[in-house]
Amino acid sequence: MLESLQYLSGGFALATTFQNLLYCLIGAVVGTLVGILPGLGPIAGIALLIPATFGLNSTSALIMLSGIYYGAMYGGSTTSILINVPGETASVITCIDGYQMAQKGRAGPALAIAALGSFVAGSISIFGLVLLAPPLADAALAFGPPEFASLMVFGFVVLSNVTGSSLVKALIMAVVGLILGTIGMDPVSGNARFTFSSAYLLGGIEFVAVAIGVFGIGEILVNAAKPAEQLEQHALVPRFRDLYPSLDDLKRSIGAILRGTGIGFGVGLVPGPAPVIATYASYAVEKRLSKHPEEFGKGAIEGVAGPESANNAATQSAFIPLFVLGIPFGPVTAILLGALLIHGVTPGPLLIAENPQLFWAVVASMYIGNFILLLLNLPFVPLFANMLRVPKRILLPLVMLFCLTGMFSVNNSVLDMWVMLGFGALGYILRGWAYEGAPLLLGLVLGPKLEVAFRQSVMISHGDFGIFVDRPVSLALLLATAVFLLLPLVKRAVRSLRRKAPPPAGETGASAPAQEEHR
Amino acid sequence: MTAVIALFVLGCMTVLFALRLSVGTLRAPDSGFFPLVLGVMLIALAVLQGVQLHLAARGAKAQAPDEPRSQDSPWRVALFFGVVALATALFDTLGYVLVSFLLMLGLLQVLGLRKWYVSGLIALLSAVAAQIVFVHWLKIPLPEGLLAF
Repeated sequence: MLESLQYLSGGFALATTFQNLLYCLIGAVVGTLVGILPGLGPIAGIALLIPATFGLNSTSALIMLSGIYYGAMYGGSTTSILINVPGETASVITCIDGYQMAQKGRAGPALAIAALGSFVAGSISIFGLVLLAPPLADAALAFGPPEFASLMVFGFVVLSNVTGSSLVKALIMAVVGLILGTIGMDPVSGNARFTFSSAYLLGGIEFVAVAIGVFGIGEILVNAAKPAEQLEQHALVPRFRDLYPSLDDLKRSIGAILRGTGIGFGVGLVPGPAPVIATYASYAVEKRLSKHPEEFGKGAIEGVAGPESANNAATQSAFIPLFVLGIPFGPVTAILLGALLIHGVTPGPLLIAENPQLFWAVVASMYIGNFILLLLNLPFVPLFANMLRVPKRILLPLVMLFCLTGMFSVNNSVLDMWVMLGFGALGYILRGWAYEGAPLLLGLVLGPKLEVAFRQSVMISHGDFGIFVDRPVSLALLLATAVFLLLPLVKRAVRSLRRKAPPPAGETGASAPAQEEHR
Repeated sequence: MTAVIALFVLGCMTVLFALRLSVGTLRAPDSGFFPLVLGVMLIALAVLQGVQLHLAARGAKAQAPDEPRSQDSPWRVALFFGVVALATALFDTLGYVLVSFLLMLGLLQVLGLRKWYVSGLIALLSAVAAQIVFVHWLKIPLPEGLLAF
């Protein structure tokens, strides 16, 4: 503990150099903008900025890119509250009560509580990161290839289970991502695979092209398809003096903020789109615990405070599996892993021991970034909100121009731009078919790691697959994977049994369809 | 069902190409082993999804739409995508400034900003701003094309 704090103070010394403070500020501002502008989420935002970090050292690059991630969580609430359009998926739930508060002339307190909650949650979670990451990294040193392979399979299945509406569709996307990940050089033998004699494909599919394509261009195309009148947005822009919450607002919010922090921190440690799940869980808990549940959906401030705190806490704690295990549990941390690898940093159990300067400087920068974001999101909210007045018909071409420029600058390659456009078209089609892009991206990034872990495991065991169940940690992970795979089947079986069961005596026939509708 | 067929075909192709590589043995899996397993998994999952869709279609209602959104304007998406593809094709030849100007102008027109002088001005300002930010500030070596002198 004391050692961690000593390292943290060293991290602060590095994070507060002029250069790193500047990149932290840039990350926070860009993140806020990414969060505010609907159609450009943190994945596309980070992917677009990766080329701009090529001239930086790895610490500064990660400080800026992680700033975009948690900055987007702050910014996302602004559009939810002011125009009822979530800037990114983790802010969907904030629309419910945040927009209702804005409709009642209370946009200022809603925005202020969202920023304060995010700050408190972010700060507490970073403290959790400081406490938990070093001992977890020590524990993870005992992990061998079988444990890592099982952990990655577990991650895929859990992510697929909580993403979108269909487990099968999400698993399909994960497998497609893994297949794409096999293109290029075999990570074990070095043989070329699926390259069709193309030198371009030897290095594999450029993951930045896939990320910008599926998440950035796919979203732009979805917006471009909308009727012209839907491309206009009308934002209520609050004045600075209206931003202060009342004492009653603060009293009602403090419990929600702390509970949201706890929920978010816990959810961030497990696989899945943590910030999104955390907001739903927090909203459900607040509604259940509230003395005035009838106010939810009509402008309850707890409905803003809880979820906004939860998504920020989850964002920070999601860095723990990335740093400690080297395995991203969600699409945004997957792209951060890709960025780290580009900069020659391999996250994993040895990261903290071998690269303490980077780890502790990034952690320290998160504290600083949270403080910067609090400052940005309180007095400057009216300024950011004015961004929403830029019509989408101007914004979409501009974002498209940034995507093309950003993609070209990764390798100075027009071919990369074509690959990005191809995946953009695929992203658009996938949205239409209700297939999620997140498992695909995770599969692409983790594919080579999973293959290496799997092949090393069977080579160690001389072809005996029992190695995956003989080792306790691997067995536990595989059992948990089986539970997650079977859960939807069990749920379906219970539902069909309930449907077939005759209604209890005295129950009217009218209630049955109503129950069906709720499912 | 289109998606299921496409995924099934992708799975079959993965298996076929994986078999052309050395698969190795269970004791020492080689380059083709992992893609082969993935291809088989994709085929299985595609079949499972096909069965689910079939059962859902036979039931009262399908669980999820398997066709693009009906309220979309596919022609606008196609036109938008066409302008971007054209800009990409001309990226090296015309150079960054000209392409960014034409791209912005084209996309603004596609999205309904019909007044040429407004869209022209926005496109010009965007192209100049992008040139300043990306080329002069961030030092990204973007192609100069026709304006190289």
